[in-house]
Amino acid sequence: MLTRFTRHISRQLAAHLDGQLVQPQAQQAEMHLRECARCRTEREQVRRGMQIIEHLSLVEAPAALWPSIEAAIQENRSRQAPTVLLWRWAVAATLLLALAGAAYWRFAHPSGTRWEVVRLAGSPSGGGKPIRGAGRIGAGEWIETDATSRATVKVGEIGSVEIAPGTRVRVVTARPGEHRLALARGEIRAKISAPPKLFFVDTAAGTAVDLGCEYALSTDERGFGLLRVTKGWVSFQWGGMESLVPAGASCRTRPQSAPGIPYFEDAPESLKQALESFGFEKSGGDALGVILSESRVRDTLTLWHLLSRVDAADRGRVFDRIAALTPVPAGVSREQALKLDPQTLDRWREELAWTW
Amino acid sequence: MVDLSGRELSTEIVESCRLGDRDAFRALYDLYKDRVYSISLHFFHGDPAVASDVTQQVFLKLMTSIRQFRGDAEFSTWLYRLVVNACMDAARSRKTQSAISDPSRMEAFPAPGSQEEDYVRAQMANSVRAAVSALPPKFRIAVLLRYFDDLSYEQMAQALHCSVGTVASRLSRGHKILAERLKGAAGIKG
Repeated sequence: MLTRFTRHISRQLAAHLDGQLVQPQAQQAEMHLRECARCRTEREQVRRGMQIIEHLSLVEAPAALWPSIEAAIQENRSRQAPTVLLWRWAVAATLLLALAGAAYWRFAHPSGTRWEVVRLAGSPSGGGKPIRGAGRIGAGEWIETDATSRATVKVGEIGSVEIAPGTRVRVVTARPGEHRLALARGEIRAKISAPPKLFFVDTAAGTAVDLGCEYALSTDERGFGLLRVTKGWVSFQWGGMESLVPAGASCRTRPQSAPGIPYFEDAPESLKQALESFGFEKSGGDALGVILSESRVRDTLTLWHLLSRVDAADRGRVFDRIAALTPVPAGVSREQALKLDPQTLDRWREELAWTW
Repeated sequence: MVDLSGRELSTEIVESCRLGDRDAFRALYDLYKDRVYSISLHFFHGDPAVASDVTQQVFLKLMTSIRQFRGDAEFSTWLYRLVVNACMDAARSRKTQSAISDPSRMEAFPAPGSQEEDYVRAQMANSVRAAVSALPPKFRIAVLLRYFDDLSYEQMAQALHCSVGTVASRLSRGHKILAERLKGAAGIKG
């Protein structure tokens, strides 16, 4: 009874009108509405909003769109196979060889298929051999570029990775369900078109997990490096800790330590310097003060990550700064946020992400 | 919601797309193109250039990664997740380029069939478009997803990367704001 009369159901009104509430919530909502004039008024407002939206019409996509999409698909296909005919002949001609080699293949490469590597410049090597034009590489093999070499790797069916000069990277797993590289040093630029969590890059400082994105990742042998995301999201993980990095943001990586706190590249320089100082030198108070005072609404990306990285004594300051920059949504309480309640933090991130 | 009668996606179409069938891609595109374009158009304040770009990105991504679609979610959920991601990426990119969107500058794009005699109806539709355009992005995308396809709240939650409760909350608040903004507007039914 207490719930029925004291807890308004503003948040559930659309679900109630759309018939999306399940029992017993649907029945409780009905009972509450019978007693509560305020919620009945709000229900009518939501209903009217739903009627208003009916004035929007479906707009036909421009006819010129399909040809441009088709051209892009064709280009993609022609890169995979020059002609269908050639592909069919190639299949027919190599079928016996493939069957004969299958047993050896299974034995030699237990972690999946081989990926195509194409030389872009200089003299890259794959599997210990120079790559002239194009080659193939499988699990356990290294790709290396010197100061003047570049190469690109076709990552199964899901995208490509460009290997910058001065890079050493190993294929760890090459299966449809898991595509994994280990970046020992240097820089890679990944473009992945796949559902999340199919492409991983291990470094000495942690693992970059693709969430549908384009990004650049650089590191030295010890694990000091930088992750820069240009499209979508990347999660950088180490020791059960995670930094979520959206497009336009970066995060530092460092060995045996939590992933760097992400920041937007257009953030104030003073904030970025303070973050560097805070993250690496643990200088504490002063750096935190600068970060808090210099943050814009968009920098709640940084502040949200800071919340779980600062000492408990400073957590309230971080919470208050986020709350001053953007309203705290329903379902997020100061008490739960300061306790680092995972559901509360996720809920808050969902809301804040609209400003990132 | 937009009438979707006669528009059904068969598993055969999706399967054929996975096998690289061009005609199946075209069928899939024809089935969803207007909905994807309309959501993008209304999300980006009636800007046809951005809406075209987002639509193209969505279908290119869909067609290059459909082999990874394992059928463990509804196809439309996956598609609209791509739409939400593309809209957020484009919005973020516009923000980065300091191209601040001003809903008041929203172009009055023509509604199908609007003519001289439909002046009042067109005015009305423009008021609604402007009000939708002025919604905060998280409410706007939720309202548009609900309207332009018959998704369950569970499917919308997956597409929007949030909980079902959050979907319900955003839809409630979004529609309420619309009603408040268009309170007493001439010709608006409801």
